[in-house]
Amino acid sequence: MKPTASEYTGWDETTPKTEAGTGAMETGNEQGLTLAEVRRTLAGVKGKKYWRSIDELASTPEFEAAVLKEFPDAAQEWVDPVSRRGFLKLMGASMAMAGLAGCTKQPDEPIYPYIKAPEDLILGKSMYFATAYPFASGSVPLLVKSDAFRPIKVDGNPDHSYNRGASDPYTQGTLLDLYDPDRSQKTTYRGDNREWTAFMEAWRSKLIAAKANGGDGLVLLSTTVTSPTLARQWKEAQAIYPKAKLVQYDPVNRDAVRTVLGAKDVQYSLTGADVILSLDADFLSGSSFPGFHRLTREYAERRKLAGVAKDATMNRMYAVESTTTTTGLKAEHRLALKPTEIPAFTAALAVALGVQTTAPSYAWTDAQATYLKALAADLKANAGKSVVIAGEQQHPSVLSLALAINEVLGNTGKTVFFTDAVNPMPTVQMAELKALVDDLWSGKADWLVMLNANPVYDAPADLNFKEAMRRAKVTVHLGKHADETGSITDWQIPASHYLESWSDARCYDGTVSVVQPLIDPLYESHTAHEIVQAMLEEPTKSAYDAVRETWQPVLSKSGDFEMNWRKTLHAGWIDGSAYEKAATATVAKVDAPAPAAKEMIEVQFRPDPTIYDGRFANVGWLQELPKPVTSLSWDNAALMSEGTMERAGLAEEDIVEITVNGRKVKAPVLVVPGQPENTITAYLGYGREMAGRVGSGAGYNAGLVRTADAMAVATGASLKKMDGRWGFAVTKSHYQDHRSKFFGGEGTGNNSLEADEALTRGIIREATLAEYKANPGFANEGETHPKVERELTLFPNWDYSTGNAWGMSIDLNSCTGCNACIVSCYAENNIAVVGKQQVRIGRNMQWLRIDAYFEGDLSAPKAHFQPMACQHCENAPCEQVCPVGATVHTPEGLNTMVYNRCVGTRYCSNNCPYKVRRFNFLLYSDYETESLKLMRNPDVTVRSRGVMEKCSYCVQRIQEAKITADKENRPVRDGEIVTACEQACPASAITFGNLNDKGSRVRALHENERSYAVLADQNTRPRTLYLAAVTNPNPALEPVLEEHSPTAG
Amino acid sequence: MAQIFDRSSNALARMSLVLTGILVIALGVTLNELQRSPWVTRQGQRPDQPVPFSHEHHVQGLGLQCQYCHTSVEKSSYAGIPPTKTCMNCHAQVWTNADLLEPVRHSWATGESIPWVKVHDLPDFVYFNHSVHVNKGIGCASCHGRVDQMPLMYEQNTLQMEWCLNCHRNPGKNLRPTSQIYNMAWKAPSEDHPVWCSVTDAKVGVPTAQSVNCLTKDPGKGGATVATLEMPTAPGASAAGATTGSSPAGGMVMPASLTYTKFTSQKALGDFLIDQYHIRPPKQLSSCETCHR
Repeated sequence: MKPTASEYTGWDETTPKTEAGTGAMETGNEQGLTLAEVRRTLAGVKGKKYWRSIDELASTPEFEAAVLKEFPDAAQEWVDPVSRRGFLKLMGASMAMAGLAGCTKQPDEPIYPYIKAPEDLILGKSMYFATAYPFASGSVPLLVKSDAFRPIKVDGNPDHSYNRGASDPYTQGTLLDLYDPDRSQKTTYRGDNREWTAFMEAWRSKLIAAKANGGDGLVLLSTTVTSPTLARQWKEAQAIYPKAKLVQYDPVNRDAVRTVLGAKDVQYSLTGADVILSLDADFLSGSSFPGFHRLTREYAERRKLAGVAKDATMNRMYAVESTTTTTGLKAEHRLALKPTEIPAFTAALAVALGVQTTAPSYAWTDAQATYLKALAADLKANAGKSVVIAGEQQHPSVLSLALAINEVLGNTGKTVFFTDAVNPMPTVQMAELKALVDDLWSGKADWLVMLNANPVYDAPADLNFKEAMRRAKVTVHLGKHADETGSITDWQIPASHYLESWSDARCYDGTVSVVQPLIDPLYESHTAHEIVQAMLEEPTKSAYDAVRETWQPVLSKSGDFEMNWRKTLHAGWIDGSAYEKAATATVAKVDAPAPAAKEMIEVQFRPDPTIYDGRFANVGWLQELPKPVTSLSWDNAALMSEGTMERAGLAEEDIVEITVNGRKVKAPVLVVPGQPENTITAYLGYGREMAGRVGSGAGYNAGLVRTADAMAVATGASLKKMDGRWGFAVTKSHYQDHRSKFFGGEGTGNNSLEADEALTRGIIREATLAEYKANPGFANEGETHPKVERELTLFPNWDYSTGNAWGMSIDLNSCTGCNACIVSCYAENNIAVVGKQQVRIGRNMQWLRIDAYFEGDLSAPKAHFQPMACQHCENAPCEQVCPVGATVHTPEGLNTMVYNRCVGTRYCSNNCPYKVRRFNFLLYSDYETESLKLMRNPDVTVRSRGVMEKCSYCVQRIQEAKITADKENRPVRDGEIVTACEQACPASAITFGNLNDKGSRVRALHENERSYAVLADQNTRPRTLYLAAVTNPNPALEPVLEEHSPTAG
Repeated sequence: MAQIFDRSSNALARMSLVLTGILVIALGVTLNELQRSPWVTRQGQRPDQPVPFSHEHHVQGLGLQCQYCHTSVEKSSYAGIPPTKTCMNCHAQVWTNADLLEPVRHSWATGESIPWVKVHDLPDFVYFNHSVHVNKGIGCASCHGRVDQMPLMYEQNTLQMEWCLNCHRNPGKNLRPTSQIYNMAWKAPSEDHPVWCSVTDAKVGVPTAQSVNCLTKDPGKGGATVATLEMPTAPGASAAGATTGSSPAGGMVMPASLTYTKFTSQKALGDFLIDQYHIRPPKQLSSCETCHR
């Protein structure tokens, strides 16, 4: 098979590879970079090397040009359509008025006191309420901060044993989802406003009519039911309407688990796992993987290296996956396989471990075979102390085999457990949906009631749900938005957000949380509970009463129900409701299918790391959040490897038409390091048409080529280059420092920006476990690891020996790059969303970013994730250049911004070596939208145009704790101040505290031998120190694997 | 052609140069004065309120304590504006038909708030916390003036940053014992009106007010017989009280058992209280992040 310029259908080793490759090279500058160039540059380089982007690896002219500029294109330029002359005129006028501006009287402000003050409310003091975020992979127990009864910050419940206060990007983002101004606000019938009672009347009369025939023709289509109460209500409804149906469908579902385990779930415990194998299980990047919070915590706990260095132990992770995820990059040994190769690899591993005798025959490369051998040996050596985790979006055989492997290794009962399913109505959703669509086509469905579902957008393309839906006589959509589905149904009913309504849900370990509302519904919204309740004998029973009814038997077991109910609401969970963990379960045996041919292009569909299946598409925080690994914001892309891109004659940002079984979709191309050849990864959730002002029009809809029989991966795709280019907002290329060969580097091909500095100036410092044991002080030794020299300064040293000295420690070994901290920071600090165009020119406002430093080969990279925010330098370069004293140092060592002094010279940002300052080039903060005003943290200024801002170490929380402590005449306790990022982190990678407190955790960490300062040679003396990374590679796989990519051979 | 400017023009030119200078300076001075003037700061202004509420009548006349209405002043950043219910506690019984109170009854009947006009309005970028001030020995009157003598509420001080810093740079001059916070008539100690203060141990971990006792009557001349009670904070303290004083039952310690220090100037008292109340040093108090975030 030979690639042509017009259509590309894949290749294998026999394909002549010169043509496409050189063809791409000839186009030269336009193309940007070629694999051949990359290889050539890398050929002569020895030892460790880091890189931030692929352009950098290849030293393209564009990249070198970018190096010369300190800031990305246009980030520093005036882009408003105002001419220089016009600008001067305006300036003249404002100069003349400048003095007067200070004399402007503030307008009178009214005070509206309560009529009767609510009990317990102390205005100005926040209250906290326990609730839970119901999510299909298990609910997230929460403690929500409420200011004057407005929820303003969502965080994990610190007392809950499951997540211990940790959260994740989705959960953090739900706050903005509540205040989304584009939410559906009125019940409508065919576009006309109606009252809820009008719907209830129609629904009730239909129900009464349908009672005679057992509810035939009533179909409810819901997203995965997470509420035991809803399940109970439905069960009762079924008794009355036995022929009515409730179908559950989520575009990202757990059908693989259901196929293998039926109504059981599998739970992993990583505490006792010395060796972890992830089979396409991305359990470190977000709550789309069940148990994310606990798994990440347990994974990180085994990497803290708390004790004496020579006795240090830590876990080792292997990851076999397709698209590069943070889990893969954190793994000591990552193997990139095509999606359909993974079941076969699992089978081969099962054979190697003696679980079974046959596996699909497949020509594994030498590297893959070596990996398999070493992995099998390591698992065997750690039998009973290892765990094999199967991916949810994989073929069921992977889970089936993984469980069999765990069984043989004796892990079951130690690191692997079985419980009842977290969701109360576990079903194989795809089968149900197909049956439903058939019913619709055959006219069997009278009333189609969709509960929080959006099947018009996310049902498989081949089911043509939109047309099928029209066959129903009446369609009802209960949804937070009048989305793709809600805009064409007869009835659209606004759905309540979980922070507005009563419900319940179980978390990963089965513990029941009552979902308690924090605020009255903002709009005339209702819940699924009410719609199902209408089918029962007491049709108007509220969700609150329904939830209480469900748990009355449980809570009355010991003691008074009312008392226990109040306890439950206070604590956030029902004691003792966790599932029994069993060591055995009936595991369906599923055989691994043979992989698709190597030259076939496979398209893998994955929930998006930031907007999931599209339900968070209108959450600006999550849209703007750079995705892990790619640092792409505001878009999804056809993610592919360098080699595939070149052979298809494509370049980054080109638009490619992907054809799968006759279905086509146009997508922009983005290269991902570590992606296997002939594999395209498409994140779901984009290409929404009716998401709202933020989400509509972002990205492309991968669902257009997703069919019912290929929900996870489609094979046999072909690629065709289309006209036009797509502009990506990729944030990683922004923060470049200029030290390439133009600035005295050696010109070895890898001397560049932060990546170069990562090595020569020790931005990233790491060692293997063996090296660390031999030399615990590795992080602060050698010329590339400069130390802080306190006395070497022209400025007098400030004395910090008394009082508080705030500092932070970030553990590179624990950080998994999941981004929860960034979204938490958004909510806590009222950070503005700027939009794709502004991100493209480098004006994103996140105070905290996670820098990914890649290391090693392009197709088999490792990475280090480094959260980077203001370092609060004791010798801060920004302060020395501010002409107006707007950024100053406090006696406690904070580098503070005084917004009302800032005149926007941006000198501070220019002089900041860490590039952590953010400037409001335009009026990014939304002062107009009413609903967003409710969301703001009242303790933090909402910044206007022309003001510099940056991480403040959550100074508002410091002040609050200090005032509380001062009133009680005591010092601030360690752990009393928790920064927003620290609070959200599931890996406890961030620690904040008082460096002058001898007993504080942060002081112990700062004194740890692994602690180092980034850019210590600048003598900025940062208060944030990083703990150097230690990895635990398998000696049998050292040196790092040759990439298995055929281009290497 | 004759010269356009004759010699006398020189004087004119010089004059105009000087005048320009003076004008610029005058403008600067004017603006400076203007932005400190009550027109901008609202100092002393009495805005129209829906009800002409008299603090003088309620505080001085009736003797209501500040916290009867401003309930959260010790607990929160806001002192709190009373809900209509607080007014109705009494005005459901007295002055039930007064025209002036019509807005209150309207609010009570309809559930709409009484729209007061804010008198003390800080800029939005300033974060002020009442609780830490009243807990640390700053009396209401220090900032709000003699509210008990204000028939209509007005702003006594400018509330400008200059004014804040004036105290934050030298907090001692306004400190008073926490027992005197709500005392409108408190006067700084002088030779004529000295203040006696004593200290018990165990100062850490208990609210400020519990460790310092101050009297305005000489404890040596019977001032100590004032019924000042104190909860013992540690068994040791109780035992010490029992041995030295004529301690009654219940572990209560009579102030007579304590050693009093006499203060005859605000400076001496201020220094003492700074020490006892752990007031942060001026460097920290005047640091930007104290009020701006």
